[in-house]
Amino acid sequence: MRALAEMWQRLRSLAARRELEDRLDDEIRFHVEQQTEKNRRAGMAPDEARRQALIRFGGVEQVREGTRDEFRAARIEHLARDVRYGLRSLRRHPAFSAMAVLSLAIGIGANAVIFGVVHAVLLPDSPLLQPETLVNVYETEGGQGFNPPSHANIEDLRRGTSGVFSGIVASTFAGAPIEHGGEAGYVMGEAVTGGAFALLGVEPLLGRTILPEDDVARGGHPVVMLGHGYWQRAFGADPQVVGRTLRMGGRGYTIIGVAPADYRGGMPALTPAFFVPMAMVEELMGAEMLDQRDFHSFFVKARLAPGVTRAQAEHAASLVAGSLTAARPEGWVPGEQFAFVPTSDVRVYPGLDPLLRAVALLLMAVVGLVLLLACTNLASFLLARALDRSKEVALRRALGATRAALVRQLLVESSLLGLAGAAVGLVVALGFFYVLLSVDLPLPFGMKLLHFGIESKALFDWRVLALTAGAGIVAAGFLGLVPAVQGTRADLGSALKTGSRGSDAPGPLRWRNALVVAQISMSLVLLVGAGLFLRSWQRMLSVDPGFGRVPTSILSLWMPVTRSTPEDAVQRTRRVLERFRSLPGVDAAGLAWPLPLEFSSSHTDFTIDGRVPPTGREAFRAERTIVDGGFFDAAGMAIVAGRTFNDGDRQNSQPVAVISQAMARRYWPDGNAVGNVLHRPDPAEDDLVVVGVASDINMRSLGEPPRDVVYEAYSQRDGGSPMFHFVVRGADPERTSRALIAAVREMDPNLQVFQSMTMAQHLAMSRLPSQMGAFMLSAFAAMAMALAALGVYGLVRYTVSMRTREIGIRMALGADAAGVARLLATNGLRLVLLGGAIGVAVSLLAGRFLATMLFGVGNFDPLTLTGAPLVLGVAAWLAAYLPARRASRADPLAALRAD
Amino acid sequence: MTKEKGDVLQGTLDMVVLKALQLEPMHGWGITERIEQWSESVLQLGQGTLYPALYRLERQDFIRSEWRITDNNRRARYYSLTARGRRHLNESLAQWRRMSRAINLVLDVTTVN
Repeated sequence: MRALAEMWQRLRSLAARRELEDRLDDEIRFHVEQQTEKNRRAGMAPDEARRQALIRFGGVEQVREGTRDEFRAARIEHLARDVRYGLRSLRRHPAFSAMAVLSLAIGIGANAVIFGVVHAVLLPDSPLLQPETLVNVYETEGGQGFNPPSHANIEDLRRGTSGVFSGIVASTFAGAPIEHGGEAGYVMGEAVTGGAFALLGVEPLLGRTILPEDDVARGGHPVVMLGHGYWQRAFGADPQVVGRTLRMGGRGYTIIGVAPADYRGGMPALTPAFFVPMAMVEELMGAEMLDQRDFHSFFVKARLAPGVTRAQAEHAASLVAGSLTAARPEGWVPGEQFAFVPTSDVRVYPGLDPLLRAVALLLMAVVGLVLLLACTNLASFLLARALDRSKEVALRRALGATRAALVRQLLVESSLLGLAGAAVGLVVALGFFYVLLSVDLPLPFGMKLLHFGIESKALFDWRVLALTAGAGIVAAGFLGLVPAVQGTRADLGSALKTGSRGSDAPGPLRWRNALVVAQISMSLVLLVGAGLFLRSWQRMLSVDPGFGRVPTSILSLWMPVTRSTPEDAVQRTRRVLERFRSLPGVDAAGLAWPLPLEFSSSHTDFTIDGRVPPTGREAFRAERTIVDGGFFDAAGMAIVAGRTFNDGDRQNSQPVAVISQAMARRYWPDGNAVGNVLHRPDPAEDDLVVVGVASDINMRSLGEPPRDVVYEAYSQRDGGSPMFHFVVRGADPERTSRALIAAVREMDPNLQVFQSMTMAQHLAMSRLPSQMGAFMLSAFAAMAMALAALGVYGLVRYTVSMRTREIGIRMALGADAAGVARLLATNGLRLVLLGGAIGVAVSLLAGRFLATMLFGVGNFDPLTLTGAPLVLGVAAWLAAYLPARRASRADPLAALRAD
Repeated sequence: MTKEKGDVLQGTLDMVVLKALQLEPMHGWGITERIEQWSESVLQLGQGTLYPALYRLERQDFIRSEWRITDNNRRARYYSLTARGRRHLNESLAQWRRMSRAINLVLDVTTVN
């Protein structure tokens, strides 16, 4: 890119230079000849006269050299003059300039914003030391999927692979209520293995990092390191912050340091506000996490020891996994393996990365098209301008301006447009960005896009700025070249002789026609894409997930359980539920963990008498969720057979289960599921007797086929999970939510409200991807359509202005206004039809790429394929007809008199 | 280029060239001839300085140039004063007169002593 610009610059100055050199040579030759002539007249012989003349003149080369110094300075002054002239000329045509700048600004702004976001999410600079020896550690079953490991498993891996790794470090989520500056709020942070910063090579901005000695005794070292963003937000970037105390979860933590700005922590897509030692996480969260082998919530990185390959590490880890499978400790899934993925290959999460890349690619393609559209508009405007100016150009050439000077002048003008477009584009991008940030997206845990590293700062990355400026300059330079060269080629005589509008120069007009066809087809492709996403979102809105159809609130409570017995925890939950049920306006209340359509999920393995598990497996598998007896009613589900859980289901009574209708149908097609036993191979899990069958719901994703689900009774679990979602049905969910929070505060200060939302918000979260797709694509498609309409409008207006005299004659001869308007709009509309046909064909081909991102609509959706061309058709028709009609209303005499 | 006795004083070259163009447009050779003639052959313009000066003056927008046909049907680059150049010439001349008068006064005083 830069090389290209440089080459162009050099070519240009060479051309200008050659011109000046030639002129100087002519002058010198003339000078010497005159002197020779004079000498001859004074009586010298011809040869002597010439010799004397040359001597008198002095060194020709020296004269040349001295004069060349003057050219060099001249080039800069010429540029300044061209810029001044260009600005003046752009100011003289404010409508043209505004349209061109606006078109470019929209295209460039959309690109800057998407590139900024994609760059911030997918291509962050790694601040890690020697990333090539770092691997991310996951657990995998039969090579399927990447699960976060549990801490206990990682400890076994560490012990069983000495010499293979120079270190293994884990991070996990550590949310805490923080009291700071008179305010208490739930803040998301990270618990991290001591020494992790040193292993990864992350230096603190202030103070020190969390060291191995901070991470020894559980609950022993209440120290905290602040994340860069939180340090700026909550502490105003106070350089004296180290040594102060931060109250988190009711305990004072000493601030030991601040993380650097470019380190986003060890968890995917989440920038933590603070870091605490791993040994503090159980106390901070009030939950047992570190020793539970089935608590899969740790994000793990390991650094290979010098000379050890990934394959060797995998072999060593497979031995550890094998011995775990042989020993079968509680919570270990037999057959599970450790998987290592190079850290630099992971963007967010290995399972999610392909989708993110596809989405990023799609968005970049879309905004690329928008930019292309903007460029075609600019090209079309510039062509029109070049035609408009053919008389001016011819006049200037006749007055002695060289073609190179004129081309340079025109290029300077279009580059000015490009620069202005880039500058306004950046402002547009900032606008888009704030809209994007302010949109209240239904993200989990009340997260904001800011937490994903998406902030306006992302726009001011040098790569984004370079792209913005580059797009403007390349667009303008490239697009300005064709009309500049073509426009100055015009034959002087004919250009001067013909009317004001440079006659019907067919070449450039054909170009403009082609551009309009391209614009229409491109914007139609975008419109069809947007239509498909809108239809997909609409389909999703109409999906019945099988629960939560009635107004319902969800309150997620974090209940510290390490300081109480399981029986206490169950009693406390029962009191909370009873309190909720007694609140006015509440019809039903229950609890669940995990909630259907939540990001986390759980499953359980079981066998059934008389049925053989699928080949290669020891047991059947089903989704599992833990609920109380009131959940089904509160969530608006039905018990279709048997019963729900009741007070008789206690810790010491027969463990029971409710199963989903789909599961009952699959395993007991004759309809008598109730009373059967689910045997469970994991020694930590009791066998369950099926007591009821519940109506089917969507567990993992909206609109999925019904899954096998096992509901276990909360009262029979050991109360070990610290977090539960309370599902409360009541007519006004917003008010119910507020009443629930007030009730919790009043009952028990130990209970922490983790999240409060309505069922509608919860469901919206599941629809977020298609909603975002629909929202973004619609916005870009609307821009594309506006640009295309602008293009058609410009073309028709231009045609009209060229044919003013013809219109006058036709009308003077009695043509009616409607007929003239039709005549003028026809060409534009013909192009629209052609572009539309191409657009539909391309959409059909490109639609296949979208198929994986769509829900419930094929890429051949008749409604979209008729609706999108219709919308575009109306816009294009208006754009073509309005200027035509205005022309047809003009006074015929005035039209005739027009030059 | 070797220094000649009649070399134009540094800084006054531009003024002399502009002065030469005051009456009518001329080509480079014409300017040398005109100055030589006016100065009674005392001032002989070095061509090594004339052409750079012409290009510089044109760049500064004091003169402009164009190809023209001479009386004996030759093509030559003719230089003429611009309005800006005319103003600049008048200013320089006024300044030069003040300066030379002052210098003459000083020199005269010295001779009397």
